[in-house]
Formats: sequence, structure tokens, C-alpha cells
Amino acid sequence: MAVISPQRRRAIALLALTSIILVTLDLQQSGSTSAVRAVFGVFFRPVEGVARVVTRPVSNAWNGITNYNDVTAENRLLREKIAQQEGASVAAAASVRLSQELLALNGLPTLAGINSVSAQVIGDSPSNFAQSVEINQGSESGIKVGMPVLNAAGLVGKITKVFANRAVIMLITDPEYALSVKVVNTPKTTASTVADPEAALIETTTTVPITTVPVATTSKIPGFTPGSTVPTAVITAPNAAVAVPSLTIPAGSSLAVRETGVLEGRGPSRTPIVRFIDTEQRFGEIQLGSPIVSAGGSLSLAPPDIVVGTVTRVNKRLGTAGPVLEIGLVADLSNLSFVRILLYQPITEQQAP
Amino acid sequence: MSLRFLRVMASRWTRLVLVGLIFLGIQTTVLSEMRPFGVMVQLMLLIGVTAGAIYGPEVGALSGLIVGLMYDCVLTTPLGLTSLVVGGVSFGAGLLPFFVREPSWWNRAIVIALFSAIGEMLFPVAQGMTGLGGWVQPRMFVVALVVALINLFLAPIVMPLIRWTLKQSMIG
Repeated sequence: MAVISPQRRRAIALLALTSIILVTLDLQQSGSTSAVRAVFGVFFRPVEGVARVVTRPVSNAWNGITNYNDVTAENRLLREKIAQQEGASVAAAASVRLSQELLALNGLPTLAGINSVSAQVIGDSPSNFAQSVEINQGSESGIKVGMPVLNAAGLVGKITKVFANRAVIMLITDPEYALSVKVVNTPKTTASTVADPEAALIETTTTVPITTVPVATTSKIPGFTPGSTVPTAVITAPNAAVAVPSLTIPAGSSLAVRETGVLEGRGPSRTPIVRFIDTEQRFGEIQLGSPIVSAGGSLSLAPPDIVVGTVTRVNKRLGTAGPVLEIGLVADLSNLSFVRILLYQPITEQQAP
Repeated sequence: MSLRFLRVMASRWTRLVLVGLIFLGIQTTVLSEMRPFGVMVQLMLLIGVTAGAIYGPEVGALSGLIVGLMYDCVLTTPLGLTSLVVGGVSFGAGLLPFFVREPSWWNRAIVIALFSAIGEMLFPVAQGMTGLGGWVQPRMFVVALVVALINLFLAPIVMPLIRWTLKQSMIG
């Protein structure tokens, strides 16, 4: 067995020491490590581009072999879902628009008022122990670290690294990811549905000609039925002919109750959880399928009311610890192609011009 | 000056960096999509461990630190962390001749697979040590097993390439 030469021993020690120093600098958020990565990227990106072109047939063949059955099954399922959702989407769009108008009227922030940048996902994380993807837009498009990322379904993650023309997104499932969220719960006792849509149509059109047109909306999310009205709660003027604007108020017991908590990722094999939910009497028993939306706030990196997912499981805990909710994400993180980055920064991080 | 430049360009470490760049290109493109059993093949780890298994602990450690640092530059984990892990396991793989006097190719392949598994399990542990917790889960054993099996299969293909890459040239 050859003895390690002093020269190589020095080289090993030097490299190991360099690595330790780099780890320390990176953990301290030093700009020098970003510079090292950026310089390496200058040399590596062309090589990666060539590798991408050369290996594309191989990856296509692999996807064709391994995913064919899944794709056909998914295609069939999607066709069914599209048919189901077509009707509901119209009502939902109208409801969302109405909600945005109301928010704007009251001077409250809405998602529609936030500029966004669309980007294409160009790569997954090259590691088994990181949940991130790379996109083809960067600081030149106004993207900054911390900005929330969405796809058509809902929240996907947040920006963690930004370069000139690319950025890295940390996905919701990464154990490092945490976000303040709201659970919109509709306790069982307060659930109300439109029993007879035709009756409701007659009632609302005769008494409140302007307000609502009932539509047969269906949603699997309790408490989130866009466009639906609550017939028992309609307060109308006795004489419909009188031109007094009537008010439609849902009964107090029918209102969805919101409670905040913290969403945390747990890796790709486990669903994210929401913790620190208060067990208040008013909040009631949390229903499966209750929607989870971002909480917003002056310190939160995401604006309020971005759809994150639904409650799939409630793990009750003893004492005042509160339940832990397992979340089914609405966004399919395994198949991201295009994403939207909200150019949103909390008030506390906005710099004065 | 020109001789010195030629010596640097012809050295085994320059070749390692160039081969490492190509492997890293493959790692970040095709292999990030091809994930057997949901696990990513670890080519950079394979390079380091193979270098150790063929050329011994010192060359292994140096190779591991270099390719690990290159790998670090495309990861989101702290820069230098993968370098330490790959360097460490490559050094470990280089200790094979202490136990087997003249290891055959399959001896080396088994050592490569074994140390690939150890390296893959050390990644989340190292992340946890730097405060990036949450990855030490039962899943890491599955990941390590799959990576070990794939690297066992790839080792006979990669060994001649690494032997050529790290061959001591006359000029270098």
C-alpha cells in the first residue's frame, strides 16, 4: 500500500478546508458563493445545453416506455374531468370576478392586481434530497428571491435562487418550505345546499332581479361553491316591485370559518402538513376536503387566498396541541411544464423608490 | 510558460474536470428525467467512488472533492457540502487494497456499489448537520439501495473511462 505523498495530502486538506469554508459562507448567505455558482454556470450551461439536445431522444424513449400506460389513463381521466369542469368553470370565473371587484372596491389586495411572469420549467433538481425545479426566467424579468410560484391549479412553491435568465423554485414538498395558510372550514352542522335549484331560481329572480343567477355548480371542496346562493338566507323586501336594493346575506351559521396555521413540506414521498391550528369551538370539527389557501399578511411571502390544496386527513392530538392536517396539493408537482411567478413582495420588503 | 500550460492541460485533473462536466451535463438533463423507482442515478458520486476504488484513497479523495464541488454548483444545498461527502466516501472506497491485495473488477464493482449507498445515505445526514433537516427519512434507505444497484450495474462501464481519465500522462 503506497503511502500518501505530502503534496497530495496538502491538496486533500486544502480542498476539504475550502469545502468547509464554502459551506460556512453559503450558510451565512454570502454573495461570494453565488458568484462561484454563476461563474461555473457560464462554463457549464453550454455543456448542459448540448447534453440536453443529444440526450433528448433517450429521455423521450424512456418516457415513452415507462409512462405510456399512465399517460393514456391520465388522458382518459382528464377528458372526463374537463367535461365535468366546463360548466362549473364559467360560474367560478363569474364568482371570482365578482369577488375581485368587491375586494378592489374595498381597497383590498387581489391576485388579479399583482403582475406576474410566465416561465417554462427547464429542469428538475439533480438530487434525491432536494425538491426544486429550474425555470427559464430570472432577475431580468423582475423575479426576486421569495416570490410565490403558481401553476394553473394553485401554489407550486417559491423562488429560492435567481440568476439573470433562470431561477430555482423550491417546491411546497421540500422540508425547508413553510408558509402561513388559512384553513377554510365549514362545520358539518352549518352545511347548506341548494335543495331545489328551480325553486331558488324562481325566488331569486322574482325578489332580487339583479343579484344572482343560480347555476348548478359542483365542487368537491366544502364551503367553496362558486356561484351558489343560500336560499334560506335571502332577505328580501316584502314587495318585490319596490326599487330598494335587497341584501343577500348568508346565515351566520353557514359562513365558512377560517383558521390560520403553518404549512410545511415533508419530502416527495409524504404529503405536506398544516400545524398550529387552534382548536376553537367556533372552528368546529375540520372537514375532509376543506380548502387550504395562503394567509397573506405583511410578513408573508405570498399574497392571501392562493389555493394550496385540500385537507385529506386530520390527525387529532391530545391537549391543546391542535390537530395536524395532511394536505392534498391541487398542483401536480410531478408534472410541471409552465408556471407563473407572482411579482409580489410583502410590504415589509418593498423598497421605497 | 507554454510547457507549464501544456502540463496543466494534459494533467489528469484537467481531464477529470472535462469528463466531470460531461457527466454533470448528463446528470442534470437526461438523468433528472429518467428516475427508476423515483430515484435519481448519481453519476457524480459514481465518478468519485470509482476513482477511489481504482487509484486508491488519495486520488479518490481528490477526485471526489473536485467532482463534488462541481456537483455542488448546480445544487441548492450549501456549496461544498456534496464535495465533502463525495470526497469522504471516495477516500473510503480507496481503502479497498488494504483488505484485498489484488482486487478483481467485480471486487471493485461491489465496493463502488457499497460506498455509493453509504454516500447517498450521508447526503441527508450532512444536510441535517448544516440545519437543512427533514431529509433523514426511511425513504433514504430505498434511495441508497437503488443507487447502489444502479452503480453496481454501471461500474464495469465507468471503470475503464475513469482509468483513462485519471491515467498519469508523461507530460502531466
